[in-house]
Amino acid sequence: MSYVDAGYSIALATLFVYAVGLLLRRRRWERALQMSEPPREPEGAPACGEPS
Amino acid sequence: MSAPTMTRRPRWLTVVGLLGVVAMGFTVWLGLWVTPPDQFQGNLARLLYIHPAIATVALYWVGLVAAGGSLLYLWPRTRSFFWDRLAAAAVEVGAVFAALTLVTGALWGRPVWGVWWTWDARLTSTALLLLLEIGYLALRRVPAEPAIRARRCAVAALLIAIDIPIVHFSVDWWNTLHQGGTFIDPGFQIHASPSMSWTFLLGFVAFSLIFVWLLGVRYQVEVLQDAVGDQELEVSLTERWSEDTELVGAGTNAPTPGPGGGAP
Repeated sequence: MSYVDAGYSIALATLFVYAVGLLLRRRRWERALQMSEPPREPEGAPACGEPS
Repeated sequence: MSAPTMTRRPRWLTVVGLLGVVAMGFTVWLGLWVTPPDQFQGNLARLLYIHPAIATVALYWVGLVAAGGSLLYLWPRTRSFFWDRLAAAAVEVGAVFAALTLVTGALWGRPVWGVWWTWDARLTSTALLLLLEIGYLALRRVPAEPAIRARRCAVAALLIAIDIPIVHFSVDWWNTLHQGGTFIDPGFQIHASPSMSWTFLLGFVAFSLIFVWLLGVRYQVEVLQDAVGDQELEVSLTERWSEDTELVGAGTNAPTPGPGGGAP
């Protein structure tokens, strides 16, 4: 492999791997945000601490 | 800011990403197959369609966003976590581009200069920039209150920015192996054939578009991380509050030793 081929391959592969990694990180944090959202109580249900 | 607003994916960012991929495709095609070999460097000149463009992003675009964002965060009138997150995103993307600058430069330097690395002012100051950016990312992981972390990181980013003019002027201030501007002279005259010039310029556009897309996605990750942290804090505070309420309720209902006893 020539220096030119190596340069282009390394640059493009690094950017591709970093971009895919960022997309996966974004998806993982979106899921974490959904998981950490407090469960919504159904309408009409007594509020937290309120006697039923 | 509510969670749906923060997790929104703007359409313009997708468009920028797609344009970046198309521009990059054309740069590679023109750079490797269409442009002629250089009169002096032969095929090695093809590396110059990507190396200066990568270095420009690593140095100027990243420096502009990171230092600008940090300044705007520190300035009381414009203080917002938006600027802090944007600066943090720029530094991480900048570290990737700085590493690529050094690698593509070494791949060009080995056959042209005869060395992979030398303690040249331009190379050394660029390597220092990469190390400082890694230090910034480590500093960002130190647990602290969000405002304290943001202020600390903004100061660090401004200190890192001192290295940028040193990298830029290193070829003028010191007599080094790394040459000054050879493709474009100070009068902005381009010394190359039209196909080489257009490929060179397209490389700058392609890497700049890719930088904007990476910056946007990295910023979204930063927003989501903070949102999860806030949400978890809110949930644990709510749980703690409801535990306390139950304890107070249990204390009121418990049998009391005498009149006036029990929890307040």
